[in-house]
Amino acid sequence: MSQLLHRSIIWIGLITLTISACQSTNIKKAYVGEKNISLAAPFPSTYKRLSSQAVLIKNTTLLTGTGKQINNASILLENGRITAIGNALDAPLDANVIDAKGKWVTPGLIDVHSHLGVYPAPSHEASLDGNEATSPNTAEVWAEHSVYTQDPQFTLALAGGITALQILPGSANLFGGRGVTLKNTPARTVQAMKFPGAPYSLKMACGENPKRVYGERKQSPASRMANVAGYRTAWIAAAEYNRKLDEYKEKKNKGEEVDAPVRNLQMETLGEVLRGNILVHNHCYRAEEMAVMLDIAAEFGYKVTAFHHAIEAYKIADLLAKDNVCAAMWPEWWGFKHEAYDMVEENIVMVSEAGACAIIHTDDAITIQHLNQEAAKAMAVGNKANYEISRADAIQWITLNPAKALGVADQTGSLEIGKMADVVIWDGDPFSVFTKAEKVFIDGALMFDRLNSDFQPVLDFDLGVLDPEGERL
Amino acid sequence: MSKLIQILALLLLCIFTSGIYAEDVLIKNARVYTISDLGTIDNGYILLKDGLIDRVGKTIDFEFDGKVIDATGMSVTPGLVNAYTHLGLVEIGAVSQSLDVSTEDKLFGPSFKIAPAINPASTVIPHNRLNGLTHAIVVPAPGHQLFAGLGAAIRLENTDSLIISESVGLFADFSSLGSKLSGGSRAATYAKIRQSFLDAQDYEKNIEKNRSGDWREYFLPLHDLEALLPVLNADIPLVITAHRVSDIRQLLKLQKEFNLRLIIAGASEGWLVADELASAGVPVIVDPMANLPRDFDQLAARLDAATRMHNAGVSLLFTGVSWRNTHSAYLVRQAAGSAARYGMPVTEAIKAMTLNPALAFGFADRFGSIEEGKTADLVIWDGHPLELLTRADRVIMSGKEVPMVSRSTRLRDRYRNLNTSYPPAYRK
Repeated sequence: MSQLLHRSIIWIGLITLTISACQSTNIKKAYVGEKNISLAAPFPSTYKRLSSQAVLIKNTTLLTGTGKQINNASILLENGRITAIGNALDAPLDANVIDAKGKWVTPGLIDVHSHLGVYPAPSHEASLDGNEATSPNTAEVWAEHSVYTQDPQFTLALAGGITALQILPGSANLFGGRGVTLKNTPARTVQAMKFPGAPYSLKMACGENPKRVYGERKQSPASRMANVAGYRTAWIAAAEYNRKLDEYKEKKNKGEEVDAPVRNLQMETLGEVLRGNILVHNHCYRAEEMAVMLDIAAEFGYKVTAFHHAIEAYKIADLLAKDNVCAAMWPEWWGFKHEAYDMVEENIVMVSEAGACAIIHTDDAITIQHLNQEAAKAMAVGNKANYEISRADAIQWITLNPAKALGVADQTGSLEIGKMADVVIWDGDPFSVFTKAEKVFIDGALMFDRLNSDFQPVLDFDLGVLDPEGERL
Repeated sequence: MSKLIQILALLLLCIFTSGIYAEDVLIKNARVYTISDLGTIDNGYILLKDGLIDRVGKTIDFEFDGKVIDATGMSVTPGLVNAYTHLGLVEIGAVSQSLDVSTEDKLFGPSFKIAPAINPASTVIPHNRLNGLTHAIVVPAPGHQLFAGLGAAIRLENTDSLIISESVGLFADFSSLGSKLSGGSRAATYAKIRQSFLDAQDYEKNIEKNRSGDWREYFLPLHDLEALLPVLNADIPLVITAHRVSDIRQLLKLQKEFNLRLIIAGASEGWLVADELASAGVPVIVDPMANLPRDFDQLAARLDAATRMHNAGVSLLFTGVSWRNTHSAYLVRQAAGSAARYGMPVTEAIKAMTLNPALAFGFADRFGSIEEGKTADLVIWDGHPLELLTRADRVIMSGKEVPMVSRSTRLRDRYRNLNTSYPPAYRK
């Protein structure tokens, strides 16, 4: 509310452009020996699913995330996975049977654009860790190294049914750094939250933010054309870095005596994008800029996985569909910048109807708690404009489609046999304003239960902070 | 000849009246949320005459030959009000030439009146209007000091007549922002507010000497002290942003000391002192979805705060959602739905974005409920008025249907079909 009430620069909150006092250091350290350039993943995920008894949820309405609604359905969660879906399932002997009559079940919700942990609450001088706004290319930084695991916003999002989320660096730079996909489970370390096997992402930013941040310092980029020159120059360097690395490996394989190239963190990230191992998530509002970014991707042989904040996606929905690029959008945020002026409330529906991958993202710690409501609003405006959108369609914008964009759709994002049991039981129609997430399962384990305080996690920040003997909420 | 004159006169009268008065309209078969003693009427009717609400009821027992709107399956509420916006003050946030919410000019403190900056041509107005928002409180933001200035009230019209009050309240900040603007301590903010009012009292007591330059110096300029007088005389409310329990209690003390019409905005921790707010008769402007512990003033923020305050008897005025309270100020409806989700009765949640703001700011004789004699500013919803799957079907202002068109719908229609021979620029 302080942001809402009495801040003429409220807009800045959204574009998350807080200048860090820290200086970035391009850590360049010479390593010798193949082991050191093998890119063996540092900071590996230590996430382990909690062991849990089997759960049979019966007599419920399922929105599968694959475009289907199944009434009077049952779903069985065993050993962390969805093992059966049907109209009349028998419960295994040890199963916890939940009669969910009148309730609805959906896949766990996924937000592809979040800054939880890197812009934690409370927000203050020392908590702003999301933007390394010291150089237009900071591909060497990783959002996970800023994540405050005790950010109380994580548990608020969990209470809204969020089971996985991508934490991204901010948009001050052309290359903001690596993003990370987390399971929304309370943990002592960020490694223990990292979604096992999820690919890394690279945050890129088009348009106003980079050119403003650096233009104001009389640095490049100060224009959109310099933004583009900046991307291309970096990709040329990354291609060269890859070439040298490949050359070295080839010689090494032939048994030649060669020194390993010097590692470069920035180039490692960019190089892995060019090899297709890191997914590009590109903050980009305007239609013509998105089209330019697609051409840059074609020039250097990488793929844009998703455009974020794609306010003008509806203008080029056909191009997005043709190139199989996702657009992550808001239902109605607009007007905070000129590139966010051409908002249409039907954007999500228009992109979806064009056959492209439409996603609703939040970029906001309040909206992330109500992602189902965002989908409902987008569905309502679409149907009022005579598009025919069902709940089964609309739920995909916040489940399967974001899972696709994060490269984890084979693991989560839909209610399908064999997938992770990331599941939400809603106490009613998830498209109703009166509905709350009642139970949230992650990998089959009950992580949140509105009806049982034993399953309402309290992060360290919330403990004893208002009342020494109580919790914040 | 006289016949011709009569006909001409009649014709002129028709043209004249149609320009001013709307055609009579009968809305029937609607679920009418009157937000008055009439309660909520199923299959009710509303008769609109001369731009005003003429009759409201259940059974139509009169002849009518004007325009009929059959609202079967639909509901009607008063036009929505967002009690805290910058509507008309900002077209694009990051475009300084279109941003007028605050001033850094030290010449203006409490006397900074925001109304002249309101732009009736803003695209933000039709966008909000077609989503059911008909009125808004337009507030200045603090620039260089804790007093932001005088706010306005508007009807969402694209004409100069949109301003219905140029001076609806004095806005100030006693949150972390206010502290920052007072040198870094909330104690200084408090002292400054109190001293400002003491000085204004002294100024008023010695007004003649002051005007002849024959009195003492004050830290506020005289025009700012003048601006405090209507607040001291309780002609307009002091609307002050505060969140922390201890801060709210300090403001309640000031209210008593100076007999102020106090409204607290924000009030993240207000639910902890709900009884005190209720017994002091202090209304609260709140965003029911603002549950983040955004700063150390707001640690007790929670989703059921609005409902808890309502249950304690506090009069609530809704705003929201979050910083979208201007460009999408109509989302106050989603915020009201959030309060209802946590137990606030539906009609009370609607009241907090219709009648309550009208009452708190002194417009309840004109809008805020569906009652005889009030301006016919209504929304016909295609479902439950708080539901997310519901949209405004028609918006009526002064008895006339508002075109459901905005820059945004124009863009939508232009790009609906991407396969056309000529570029989109040829589709208007």
